[in-house]
Amino acid sequence: MAVSRFIDVFEAYDRFANGKRVTEQQWDYEIIPRRAKMLKESYDLFFGHEIIPTDDEMCDRLFMAGMDMLLSCGIYCTDLGKALTIEEEEIYQGLKMAPKKLTLGTGKDKCTLKPRRGNSFRKPIVEGGPTGAPISENIFEKVIASYAQEPMVDGIVSGVINTINGRSVVTDSPWEIKATMSEIRHIREAVSMAGRPGMSI
Amino acid sequence: MSASMVNNGLRSCDCHECSQMNELKVNTSFMNMIAGWHLSGDTIMIEQMPIMGGYVSSVEETAICDVAATLASFVLYNCDIHLDGPVHIRWGNTSNRECLQVAAHAARALDANTDVLLANQYYTIAGPCTEMCLLEVAAQAIVDTVSGRELLSGVAPGKGVLQDRATGLEARMLGEASSAACGMSIEAANGIVDNILHRYELNYHHAPMGKKFQECYNLDTLRPSQEYLDIYENAMHTISLCGMDF
Repeated sequence: MAVSRFIDVFEAYDRFANGKRVTEQQWDYEIIPRRAKMLKESYDLFFGHEIIPTDDEMCDRLFMAGMDMLLSCGIYCTDLGKALTIEEEEIYQGLKMAPKKLTLGTGKDKCTLKPRRGNSFRKPIVEGGPTGAPISENIFEKVIASYAQEPMVDGIVSGVINTINGRSVVTDSPWEIKATMSEIRHIREAVSMAGRPGMSI
Repeated sequence: MSASMVNNGLRSCDCHECSQMNELKVNTSFMNMIAGWHLSGDTIMIEQMPIMGGYVSSVEETAICDVAATLASFVLYNCDIHLDGPVHIRWGNTSNRECLQVAAHAARALDANTDVLLANQYYTIAGPCTEMCLLEVAAQAIVDTVSGRELLSGVAPGKGVLQDRATGLEARMLGEASSAACGMSIEAANGIVDNILHRYELNYHHAPMGKKFQECYNLDTLRPSQEYLDIYENAMHTISLCGMDF
């Protein structure tokens, strides 16, 4: 069945606003754990000892269980105290709309992601960096440069500067904005000095 | 907001990243950020790190939530690439056996049934300048590569909470292990990863914090210390003994 329109973040917000009211406690301690346990049993999921699964049918059952989880529970918005619902056809249409190719960065430093479809011989893109770990303001640029100078690294993932001009960065304050802008400025300088100014960050 | 500033902010081709909450939850700040990025044509990366042993208990239940959260990113929030990262409630790393199993099963399930772009992120329990940290990175890189992910993001050593304990050499290992694992069979990868896991998974209680960046690199030349290069070589040798052909 054709959907009337594709869901985007605006439609998602409206669905939350008109969704079913539940408490966060009910969501966390009743709805999610009970449903996940039930789906594990009804889709006969048992991973055993294998780390990477060789059983293709079980992978398909896991996918269907994940779909079922999203269809039966929806998603919860903590600020609105409500859960949205979504239809199966909307999930399939949304997946069709999802990007199949993505280019990060610019110029000769750009890299392109395409579905690898299993373990192809094409290496995944490597985004190198402290991944949110706290880094001192006075060495931040050098730390990022240590990643940018690695040929295996295609893009940068930032760390967190926890001081700005020597004072601590308070969450949800103007200092947080200044710190984030400082991080971006330092990263641009670091990738430029490594000769890779177009790298994605 | 600061990421979108015209003069010093991110470009559309940079990853604009925000996170869902555990499990299958969001808030309005999350949606507001996405609304701005979506209307600006920015690249949106949505993160969600399912907690193994949190609101749900088993690896299977965690993987079900993982698949559902990934689908939600693409279907509800205009996501371009989903950044996974199953994390253990007790150990705080993504490279333990259970989390590797969750990530691998979720990735294979999604890879077999969709064409969406999948990423994973790296939190080790050991700090930089230790063989254990590099072994954790290599094990996860092999799992992520063989299970079909498109982007690998890391590394945050010491669970990502230790000040100044992150360096470029961990990312070098990530890239080298991933490259070597490309095209490898699942059976072969499982054997190698199991061998590597045996070398570190009993050490979580006494995981080494490693050294700070300032102790690992010369701050003038940005060259790694000989000590860390030797540890890197030893780690490569250990991974080779586990069956990996670099």
